[in-house]
Amino acid sequence: MTRRNLWIGLAVAVLAALSLTACQKAQGPQIEITDAWGRPSPKVATAGAFYMTIRNTGTEDDALIGADSDACGVVELHESFKTPEGAMGMRPVQGGKIVIPAGETVELKMGGLHIMCIDKQVDFTPGTKVRLVLHFEKSGDIPLEVEIRQPMK
Amino acid sequence: MSSGAKRGLGWALGALLLIVLGWWGWQRFRPYAFHGTVLQSAEPAPDFTLMSADGPVSLSDFRGRIVMLYFGYTFCPDVCPTTLFEVQKTMELLGEDADQVQLIMISVDPLRDTPERLKEYVQYFHPSFIGVTGSEDEIAQVATQYGIYYEKHEGTPATGYLVDHTATLTVVDRKGYVKLIFPYGTPAEDMAADLKYLIEH
Repeated sequence: MTRRNLWIGLAVAVLAALSLTACQKAQGPQIEITDAWGRPSPKVATAGAFYMTIRNTGTEDDALIGADSDACGVVELHESFKTPEGAMGMRPVQGGKIVIPAGETVELKMGGLHIMCIDKQVDFTPGTKVRLVLHFEKSGDIPLEVEIRQPMK
Repeated sequence: MSSGAKRGLGWALGALLLIVLGWWGWQRFRPYAFHGTVLQSAEPAPDFTLMSADGPVSLSDFRGRIVMLYFGYTFCPDVCPTTLFEVQKTMELLGEDADQVQLIMISVDPLRDTPERLKEYVQYFHPSFIGVTGSEDEIAQVATQYGIYYEKHEGTPATGYLVDHTATLTVVDRKGYVKLIFPYGTPAEDMAADLKYLIEH
């Protein structure tokens, strides 16, 4: 093989690799998580809540299907809502998942969607950092660190 | 300056004075507009006696102070702490007047919330907050008297049952009448302004 052919071969290989990653990036979901925080709560409150902003910059819908944390006995996805009686209620999310449509942002916030930490294993005092692993239907596991802090307005 | 121009100037000044006076009067004497929903109660708020970790607590113990009643439960991880945090901020905004306001949280989950549990829970938000509970019948009676809806429904194996509940704050004035309702999500600034008005008038 001449030196020239080698260069051409290399260039083709690089181009192929580039286009492949470009394709991968253009297709499928792309999940970004920002502003993750947990609400401080007293030891006696067995349940805590995590909130965050989940953005899908990809081209395909994805869904948050669950989460795990060493800081919680069980982690569930819940939603607070107004009942027909005008009261506030809370239920596990419908279908057991939170859909993150392609190109959209879903906010987990106070009085709405939240990740519920049941049977807290640690004190949720401000400044504490909690490791959380989010399970997505297509994007798989996304680990993150969540800081316990007072709600901001 | 011609006499006509002088007269014109006089009129203009007079009109300006009237506007300024009128504005001042309006600012000074207009009725206060509450942020919360105002109730005109013909009867005093129903008295109750429920159990706290430090002994029985009656609404009538607090005559002369303003009482905020909140119906909730300690397992509630989202709506209740959101509201109690807002009341905590309200107390901070009230400053020295905060000792004129007493928050009492009444459990809508008497089977799981003990007085001790409630105390630890509410005092996390503010050292002055009181948590009370009672028998299922007692809680049902108080809730009904205050128009509070609550209902258990099935949760998951991990959560156990959950309780839907009216998440408003009921404000009882110093004479013992229900005066205001703060809906869920009322900002601390609005609650503090209303309470300050009630304290000063």
